[in-house]
Amino acid sequence: MEFLRPLSWEEALALRAGRPDAVPIQGGTDVMVEINFEVRRPGALLDLNPVRELAEWEMAEGRLRIGAGLPYTRLIEEVGDRVPGLAQAARTVGSPQIRNRGTVGGNLGAASPAGDCHPPLLAAGAQVEVESAAGGVRMIPAEEFYLGVKRTALRDDELIRAVWLRPAEGPQHFSKVGTRNAMVIAVCSFAIALHPAERRVGTGIGSAAPTPLRAAEAEEFLAGELAGEPAWGRSLPDGLAERFGELVGRAAAPIDDVRGTAAYRRHALAVMARRTLTWAWQDRLAGTGRS
Amino acid sequence: MTETIRARAMGRPLERLDGRDKVVGQAPYAYEQQVTDPLYLHPVQAVIARGRINAIDTADAESLPGVVTVLTHLNAPRLTGDGDGDDRELWVLQSDEVHFRGQFIGVVVAETSEIARHAADLVRVEYERWPHDVELSADRDDLYAPDKVNAGHDTDTDVGDVAAALADAPVVVDHTYRTPMEYNNPMEPHATVAVWDAGGLTMYDSTQGVHVVRQRLAPLFGLDPGHVRVVAPHVGGGFGSKGAPHAHNVLAGLAAQVTGGRPVKLAVTRQQMFSVVGHRTPTIQRIGLGAETDGRLTALVHEVVEHTSRIVEYAEQTAVVSRMMYAAPNRRTRHRLAALDVPVPFWMRAPGEAPGAFALEVAMDELAVACGLDPVELRIRNEPDVDPESGRPFSGRRMSECLREGARRFGWESRDPTPAARLRDGWLEGTGVAASVYPRIMQTGNRAWVRYGPDGRYEVGIGAVDIGTGTWTALTQIAADALEVPVEEVRLRIGDTDLPEAAVAGGSGGLSAWGSAVVGAARAFREKFGRHPSAGDEATGTAPESPAAEDFSMYSFGAQFAHVRVHADTGEIRVPRMLGVFTVGRVVNPRTARSQFVGAMTMGLSMALHEEAVLDPRFGHVVNHDLATYHIATHADVQDVDAIWLDEEDPRSNPMGIRGIGEIGIVGAAAAVANAVHHATGVRVRDLPITPDKLFH
Repeated sequence: MEFLRPLSWEEALALRAGRPDAVPIQGGTDVMVEINFEVRRPGALLDLNPVRELAEWEMAEGRLRIGAGLPYTRLIEEVGDRVPGLAQAARTVGSPQIRNRGTVGGNLGAASPAGDCHPPLLAAGAQVEVESAAGGVRMIPAEEFYLGVKRTALRDDELIRAVWLRPAEGPQHFSKVGTRNAMVIAVCSFAIALHPAERRVGTGIGSAAPTPLRAAEAEEFLAGELAGEPAWGRSLPDGLAERFGELVGRAAAPIDDVRGTAAYRRHALAVMARRTLTWAWQDRLAGTGRS
Repeated sequence: MTETIRARAMGRPLERLDGRDKVVGQAPYAYEQQVTDPLYLHPVQAVIARGRINAIDTADAESLPGVVTVLTHLNAPRLTGDGDGDDRELWVLQSDEVHFRGQFIGVVVAETSEIARHAADLVRVEYERWPHDVELSADRDDLYAPDKVNAGHDTDTDVGDVAAALADAPVVVDHTYRTPMEYNNPMEPHATVAVWDAGGLTMYDSTQGVHVVRQRLAPLFGLDPGHVRVVAPHVGGGFGSKGAPHAHNVLAGLAAQVTGGRPVKLAVTRQQMFSVVGHRTPTIQRIGLGAETDGRLTALVHEVVEHTSRIVEYAEQTAVVSRMMYAAPNRRTRHRLAALDVPVPFWMRAPGEAPGAFALEVAMDELAVACGLDPVELRIRNEPDVDPESGRPFSGRRMSECLREGARRFGWESRDPTPAARLRDGWLEGTGVAASVYPRIMQTGNRAWVRYGPDGRYEVGIGAVDIGTGTWTALTQIAADALEVPVEEVRLRIGDTDLPEAAVAGGSGGLSAWGSAVVGAARAFREKFGRHPSAGDEATGTAPESPAAEDFSMYSFGAQFAHVRVHADTGEIRVPRMLGVFTVGRVVNPRTARSQFVGAMTMGLSMALHEEAVLDPRFGHVVNHDLATYHIATHADVQDVDAIWLDEEDPRSNPMGIRGIGEIGIVGAAAAVANAVHHATGVRVRDLPITPDKLFH
């Protein structure tokens, strides 16, 4: 196995173009486990750690541009207040050691349906900035990024540069069920983001389908029920959170596996959807979330 | 009754004598032993569950720079003996047959561990696949009764007429309980360093018994036991899985014979541990309880179905707990085995008692509900006066006191027995209780010596092993009291077969066996040299006779209480509090003992909520063979776990008055949690582990 170590983003893109079999590696919390467990043995590893700009973030055009190599710990500390849903998800990743190494970019690249970052990215309407030497920059909406189990819209010659998110315009929440209380892969997870200016609620479902996904019908239902300014200043109508939960549960396509049954996943998703919507709405009415 | 020694050091919470060395990294574990110019081993494992090796091609592996050789059944040194009985697990690289997936079928010897591992991947194997069978069920038609079950217990027992008693009983609880395949997973993976030279075989091993390793391996290698030395000064846990040598020890011994005297180092990986160092069998247990309306048992049935490997029979003694725990005039216990193409099962902390007490103690909770009785009171009502099946009196049985004291400390008296009746902030709260028991095991054949050194200190030697439990410290305390000197005047030597014969650190009986021998040696020393010995004086002794052992039934007991919170909507389970109250004879060192109790209770919590090895029937391997997916409780799952014990000694047990403490903490812990989950939710889960999805139907 070759170990490629570019010192700049341009060099990384050039190496990438020449080695489509190379697996990009950042914190190594996923790639190294797969190699150690002999799940795969790539022809080359493309070490992006020396590319320092990947580990930075900035505000640009009113949006947050989070470098693909920003570790979870720094994400939580430095921008957590602006992307609370993503920060909540990041806090549930692995152990402190893993959070010191693991990155959003790595989570996106691995594209495990159980990855913790995907639901909040979907709910917030994030965009994934990818780039190649030949094709330049592309911006891929999160919901178009995930194509299948561990398959993404990334082309062979592209690398993930950053994710773009607007600072939260309303309350955001993330919820995850695991079979233990830490260092656990999600049985299923759910994220919600309120977008008051658009009178819309964003959703993201994790670990309950071949890919992370939005609960489109549930989002449309809420948009319809909460149409108009007055609805956004009042308490949630009775039964609305429950119906929302049911629709989220229906949106999933879960399976039975070691971590839980499909039926339990649908049930838990409904609960988490109801719960996070209720929390978010309470935040909004209390003015504690961003609005 | 034996004469007990006066406790001066015993009973004090002495800090670990080896603590500093461990913290600063100066305590050498097996793999860290300094040897000259070592080679490294990496095993090749079978990827089929049953069959025969038709061809094995090591050319690519051997051509890799740094590879010294690759051993397979075609070229490995021959072992001595007929390879029958228990030796079949150790009959490594002696034939072309594959008996379970993951079996060692080769080993690479190389200059570095990385090269060895790489080369192991390059070995090409062609198999003749035979049909395999790894699926346990209670309705298989090939279940059989073993001659004996582990620890020499009878396979079946019958007292009275159980069928009639169950038919006549006004209250009957009759259910099936299941526990999954579980793995010991000590922190330190199994590792061994072997040196084969003119003097014989030296093995630095991560083991629970240096003498056991020597006794088992010497004949296999055709060596006189005097030519095998096993060294283990520090061991990072075993939980039973290091209680005997396994295939990796033999692999290292074979490889060491072909390196021209260069040492070989073998560290078993965490994943390999799921194939080659033992596991706890899954169990399917029927418990039938017949009782009067006042809760008094009239019948107790405990029938167990479990698996063993086809090559070595290991029969977990799961039902023995039901033979002595409660009074009942009619009783039946059964053990039936399915011989499967699975890795060889072996001891895991409280083999038998741990899974057996889960079933029995959940069933007792169900009986309490059925009778409308408090579960503490139900257990006290069924306390036997004498051991129900042997008829012998107990050397000490303060079970009721444990239950009452635990209930008092836990605030049990205010408990409303109604299930699913306490909802706070979305969480259903519940409490549960279960009884604990573990036999006092006295292993024989232990010797120790005492030498008086020129520095005015007493050197005390015995081939015992500290597997992390605190033996260095506790045995020093015993030696000090046996010699009637301060602990500072004792220098303990353990962990080496150059020291006298000593039993395995197992059965919660290490300290009992070793301590008794140390007392014998101290007495022999004082008889010979008095209170004022000269430098160089030395005496050897063995454990004093314990005539009471024949006349009394000796067990430790306990009561465990658990408080759980179950989320009403998601079924997530939290355990904010566990309390264990134990009666174990004397506690030699309260500090290290507390770690044993609390650690074992935590392991019980983990058994209740997390641990489950998933065997893939198509391929015969454990799918979740790593710590990322084989879940063990994390810090965040463990909150307030406390253990206390009754102040006592058991003079009938041994000169220290101790009965052993290493395993009882796991016994009953999972049942206490399961019973609390029922109290919280009204859902009775009879299959471990209790995961959120099992609380929704």
